[in-house]
Amino acid sequence: MSKPHVIVIGAGFTGTAIAHDLALRDFDVTVVERGPIASGTSGRTHGLLHSGGRYAVKDQESAIECIEENIILRKIVPEVIEPNGGLFVALTESDLAYKETFIQGCEACGIPVDEITPQEALRLEPNLNPKVLAALIVPDGTFDPLRLALSFAASAKKNGATYHLFTEVVDMLLDGQGNVTGVKVWDRANNTRYEIHSDMVVNATGAWVGQITQMAHAHVPITPTPGIMVAYDQRLVNRAINRLNRPSDGDIVLPQRRLAVVGTTSFSIEEVDYVPIDRSQVDLMLERGAELIPAIRQAKERGVYMAVRPLIGASGPGRSISRTFKAYDHKELDNVEGLVTITGGKATTCRAMAEKTVDIVCQKLGLNIPCTTAAAPLTSYREFYSR
Amino acid sequence: MEPQKNDPKNLWDWFNPKGRNVGGWAFILNRIAALGLVFYLYLHLFVLGKLAQGPQVFDQFIATAKSPLYILGELLVIAAALYHGLNGVRVLLTSFNIGVPQQKQMFYTALLLSVLGTLVFAVRMFTVH
Amino acid sequence: MWKITYRVHRQKGNEPPHYETFQVEVDPEEYVLDGVEKIWASEDRSLTFRHACHHSTCGACGMRVNGVEKLTCITKIKDVVQDGGTLTVEPLRNFPVVSDLVVDLGPLYRKMAAVQAPAVHALSMTPWEGQNIAPPADIPMRSADEEYIRLPDCIECGICISACPVAATDPEYFGPAPLAAIQIQGLDKPELLALADSQEGVWRCHSAFECSAVCPSNVDPGRRIMDLRRQVSAKRLKLA
Ligand SMILES: Cc1cc2nc3c(=O)[nH]c(=O)nc-3n(C[C@H](O)[C@H](O)[C@H](O)COP(=O)(O)OP(=O)(O)OC[C@H]3O[C@@H](n4cnc5c(N)ncnc54)[C@H](O)[C@@H]3O)c2cc1C
Ligand code: HEM
Ligand code: SF4
Ligand code: FES
Repeated sequence: MSKPHVIVIGAGFTGTAIAHDLALRDFDVTVVERGPIASGTSGRTHGLLHSGGRYAVKDQESAIECIEENIILRKIVPEVIEPNGGLFVALTESDLAYKETFIQGCEACGIPVDEITPQEALRLEPNLNPKVLAALIVPDGTFDPLRLALSFAASAKKNGATYHLFTEVVDMLLDGQGNVTGVKVWDRANNTRYEIHSDMVVNATGAWVGQITQMAHAHVPITPTPGIMVAYDQRLVNRAINRLNRPSDGDIVLPQRRLAVVGTTSFSIEEVDYVPIDRSQVDLMLERGAELIPAIRQAKERGVYMAVRPLIGASGPGRSISRTFKAYDHKELDNVEGLVTITGGKATTCRAMAEKTVDIVCQKLGLNIPCTTAAAPLTSYREFYSR
Repeated sequence: MEPQKNDPKNLWDWFNPKGRNVGGWAFILNRIAALGLVFYLYLHLFVLGKLAQGPQVFDQFIATAKSPLYILGELLVIAAALYHGLNGVRVLLTSFNIGVPQQKQMFYTALLLSVLGTLVFAVRMFTVH
Repeated sequence: MWKITYRVHRQKGNEPPHYETFQVEVDPEEYVLDGVEKIWASEDRSLTFRHACHHSTCGACGMRVNGVEKLTCITKIKDVVQDGGTLTVEPLRNFPVVSDLVVDLGPLYRKMAAVQAPAVHALSMTPWEGQNIAPPADIPMRSADEEYIRLPDCIECGICISACPVAATDPEYFGPAPLAAIQIQGLDKPELLALADSQEGVWRCHSAFECSAVCPSNVDPGRRIMDLRRQVSAKRLKLA
């Protein structure tokens, strides 16, 4: 019997991790992405390899996913990660009051947390606000967004996955019963159109999942929730610096190569393809970032960008929605066979999202193949281009 | 486009001034000067060859060589030699990682000295006759 | 808001390239890449370009803006054009063009792999200051046996190769970024010494320093090539 053929739509973290998982489980894999790798939300992330600390109080399901996956990613893809840890720092009395709740949350989720003195914190991060009242160390890290996605993509490619980049899915191929049997695509690089048939289609288009499900007369509840990030031209910190409090605007500063990046905000929009930059949010990032790292005021802006979170659920926007992920079998949801949608989640949890999705694919195709991605080191991201 | 080895288009790309910075200009000028000098070397050998044809032929040539047009040509050779030599020193120094951050200033200095040197020669050649 | 014209290099499949103009309304504080994305989002869905991080850490968005190599995600529109003016965007030179503004950076990635360019390295391995920006201070970790790991400065954008007059005529020349990656590692490994000291290595460079003029990430590859020359010469003299 020939291998079952699965089409993955979208080559962000989710799509590339799914392609890798599928390829390892010996599927015939075709990835269709309308732009280059990680050109959607994934490329534009902050780059925080979450320890889970940020969600340890309000969203423990996400927090536990984060710490588990954090440990796995450090092992399987060390070449795109700065594993230098992270600090949660208290600057005000209200921050300080949050400390115990935070520590309890971390302990409940299995996140190692370690209090250090303000003096020690300033020794480790000399650019930290000298008014620091308390500091906690957690195993945060930072990663290079494009190269994380490329590593998954390269590994999948090595195991036989094929890529159709700059190729947009423009419609679904449906059989007489309305079940999905493949996709119609537009190759934007060559301006050609063709069809690809498959045994299963996985919709991993992040904030755009709704457009794909619509083509199949199916639906999925998501709320596109953008946030801003501002990069400054100095590497002012060597690890992720978080504000010790409930998640809010501009409460994370982290290093990227020679830069410091401050993020983020959370609001809702209609149009997802081009989110204009709101200069008042840029000012807010500077103001809030400078509370943590005052030297940011002396640095120069070097890039401003918006990314759109694909948060699951249709309730109001913002930080109340859980950051966990969900995979939908549209047979159950809309009585449409042949289509699985995955969305939500974080960069940090993309491998687990892939595992869950491919489990569903296997189950639907009546196969019993275990997932091995947690122990399989990825190949070098460079091999995506060089092989 | 990706370049191909031995593509005739490469000849133009060597001298293509589009989108070039100071260092690129220095290199293009150096190459033009070098080619000019090689051309002059052949010319020089050709002229020396006239010696073999006897004293009259050579004197006749020397007479025409005193015309302003010839002097201008010789000045070009001097300018080229000065620039190529001085810039050569710049390239040699930087090749030992000496003065790389100052390479632009070194280029301007080489250029300035070549212009000044050529002017000195020009004044002398047009007045001392 | 400004009204400007983007003059964009277009090329599909085997068709000959041409230029197309688009009138766009932009905020002058926006970056050149934002304008390109806006054209794609609202004017022409067939426009292809490379991008990912939008803040100069991934190296995907290198293009030629008005003829000069730029990382478009950090090049402000107001720095390259005036209100009412025209801005030309073209793909990088010296790489195969895939479509419109997209080039295939494969040759660069192959060379970076060949020179074993580190994907992450110890913080202390950033040996000297680039233009304007001081290297990050080597701050101690909590325990003495730990060291900070960081992603390197070079973002493998290919901009240096695009600007290099030698790469313009010799596709086999290793080029600025790969040679700089050898310099960062030093010449202890014999295979790296052999690569640096080869016909397509440090001796192929003609010292135009275009790479350092355009490198958006303060790698200063030109200076690193020169230092590698010095190192190779020293090694060879010692061996002789
Ligand atoms: C502001 C912000 C900051 C964040 N910071 C972090 C962080 O620090 N750490 C962390 O772990 N997570 C972070 N996240 C979350 C994380 O970035 C996202 O969860 C993740 O990138 C989603 O990846 P994805 O692959 O699902 O979606 P995407 O990356 O958006 O991928 C979807 C892909 O589908 C493609 N596509 C769309 N339509 C079509 C079509 N019709 N045909 C073909 N292809 C199509 C798109 O081009 C796109 O490439 C952040 C998110 C935001 C918004
Ligand atoms: C003071 C004497 C000279 C010095 C210091 C000098 C130095 C140099 C240097 C350093 C280079 C390499 C430049 C590069 O890497 O791009 C070079 C190239 C060259 N030189 Fe000279 N040179 C001198 C005289 C001459 C003369 C008299 C001639 C011709 C008759 C000449 C012909 C050339 C040529 C043809 C090249 C190759 C140019 C190129 O590849 O672009 N040089 N020279
Ligand atoms: S050396 Fe600079 S210009 Fe060259 S690829 Fe690296 S970052 Fe880009
Ligand atoms: S988009 Fe990543 S460097 Fe410009």
